[in-house]
Amino acid sequence: MDTDVRPTLLSSCALAATAEEAGFRVDYPNSATRSSRIFALDPAAAEIMYQIVEDPWKGAHFLTVRDGNTVDPEKTGIDDLALSHPNGVAATLSKEIEGADVVVLIATTGDGVGSAEVIAREAYHRKIMTVGLAMSESKEQHETDAVVNSLRRFASVLVVARDASFVPAMLTALRA
Amino acid sequence: MLRKEVNELLTQTNAETPMGEMFRQYWIPALLSSELPEDDCAPVRVKLLGERLIAFRDSKGRYGLMDEFCAHRGVSLWFGRNEEGGLRCPYHGWKYDVNGNCIEVPSEAEESGFCERIKLQAYPLVKVGDVLWTFMGPKENRPPLPEWEFATVPSDQTFTSKRWQECNWLQAMEGGIDSSHVSFLHSGGLQSDPLFKGAKGNEYNLADKKPVFEVTETEGGLFIGARRNAEAGKHYWRITPWIMPSFTMVPPRGDHPQHGHFWIPIDDENCWAWSYDYHPTRALTEEEVQAMKDGHGIHNEYVPGTFRPLQNKDNDYMMDRDAQRRGETYSGIKGIAMQDASLQESMGPICDRTKENLVSTDNGIIMARHRLRKAVTAFRDKGTMPPGREPAHQKVRSVAVVLDAEQNYVEACQDALTSEKGKERTSV
Repeated sequence: MDTDVRPTLLSSCALAATAEEAGFRVDYPNSATRSSRIFALDPAAAEIMYQIVEDPWKGAHFLTVRDGNTVDPEKTGIDDLALSHPNGVAATLSKEIEGADVVVLIATTGDGVGSAEVIAREAYHRKIMTVGLAMSESKEQHETDAVVNSLRRFASVLVVARDASFVPAMLTALRA
Repeated sequence: MLRKEVNELLTQTNAETPMGEMFRQYWIPALLSSELPEDDCAPVRVKLLGERLIAFRDSKGRYGLMDEFCAHRGVSLWFGRNEEGGLRCPYHGWKYDVNGNCIEVPSEAEESGFCERIKLQAYPLVKVGDVLWTFMGPKENRPPLPEWEFATVPSDQTFTSKRWQECNWLQAMEGGIDSSHVSFLHSGGLQSDPLFKGAKGNEYNLADKKPVFEVTETEGGLFIGARRNAEAGKHYWRITPWIMPSFTMVPPRGDHPQHGHFWIPIDDENCWAWSYDYHPTRALTEEEVQAMKDGHGIHNEYVPGTFRPLQNKDNDYMMDRDAQRRGETYSGIKGIAMQDASLQESMGPICDRTKENLVSTDNGIIMARHRLRKAVTAFRDKGTMPPGREPAHQKVRSVAVVLDAEQNYVEACQDALTSEKGKERTSV
């Protein structure tokens, strides 16, 4: 076939970018359900998380780190981290992170740096993307810096958000 | 992914839509000042935010922007005679001043006061820099004139162009804050484009294809930091400001001029892509200006006599598969501007965001949509004025810098991210 042949149909060229032609886009689900794991690293982050756990998420699991401010990452193995589901039932990191395609760490203070490292370390080994979400609402710059610094080393993407409404917006955008 | 109703909220900008009303609270670029080069020159048809308007410059150098159509029988005033302090409809001689006031109706007795009862909707049109800006909202909401640095430096330090982009404003704007596409789509230009090549920062860009992103909310919008590995213990940061609703500035490269965009809705299926290039502390060289006029950097070539890009959907953007194979361009399309526009227009006139699958590196886009949605609902429901109108929000600069690995980019670059007359910029 002559490679210089030009398209002759409207739908075979860039002119197809009309509203009418957009109606012919194949309509089918183009992605499988995602499997997101959202970790609240401190009590205030957990409060933010609890406000949205009842929303109709697709494959998201929400977990709270208990006593995150006392975690020494050097001495904390994967299943030594104290985690719980929103209903208070204990959870183990190895089981929860299995099959995840994204890990989201939410922090409102810099106190969770040890637990962030334990979770992110496991995500790294499993080649799972880690997103850090530093909540800066009503914080002084140095307080925000502490939150950011606690997450920076571990997150492939770091977001500094001013208000809690960004959390469900981000999770919805990511089809969590 | 956005739900259908949220997508419509953010993409629809005609009069009386929430986003359209929000856009009307800003000074927006309407024309290049060169489009109205002298007193009594030819009027220019302009469509903005779904409204067909006519711009003209009267005998005294005053600029006007008003309803395109004569109040008498709906004739386009583009056919009008621009003379003696007003624009006269050629059909029956009705004449309007720059404020849309009818100042002559020849068929009626002057004493009747008839023409005083006729007025076209008009908006202020003000020259700041190379751009004529308009404010299409109510007078009582009018903010101070724009103070973007590219528009306020001396005229020999700045160059602005515009092009018609055949898609909704939001998908075009989102390209400007999507830093992760640069390593792919524009990778060819870093080594060859006269307005980019030779900068030390390019080496970091090309060596580390997996940047780490940090998105930080600011009063006026966002900073989007892209971090790449530099020398041992150092990071190369490229920091892009986005100011609401649609201003972005690309981080600079070496001593090249720095550049950015405004995306302004024409209607829901078309927008103006404004592209500016400036240097805060030196005049642009003749070679740089010529390169911009020739369509290099973020500028483009045109269909002669129009603002339509020479590469457009009628000619498949002059796709060159051989150049793509040779690695000269990543997509086969020549030029940064048209590499972006070709792909953004291919999404359709209004991108269907219910079908998209965003990933975590898209968080700049996710946050920008979130900010826009919050601002537009607060304006619609409570009348809260949106961010980005204040001069303080507009005094921003993009930055390219190498920092110690442990440094916070916002804190370390706080001063560099703020524009100030005559202040040296931070660029690598």
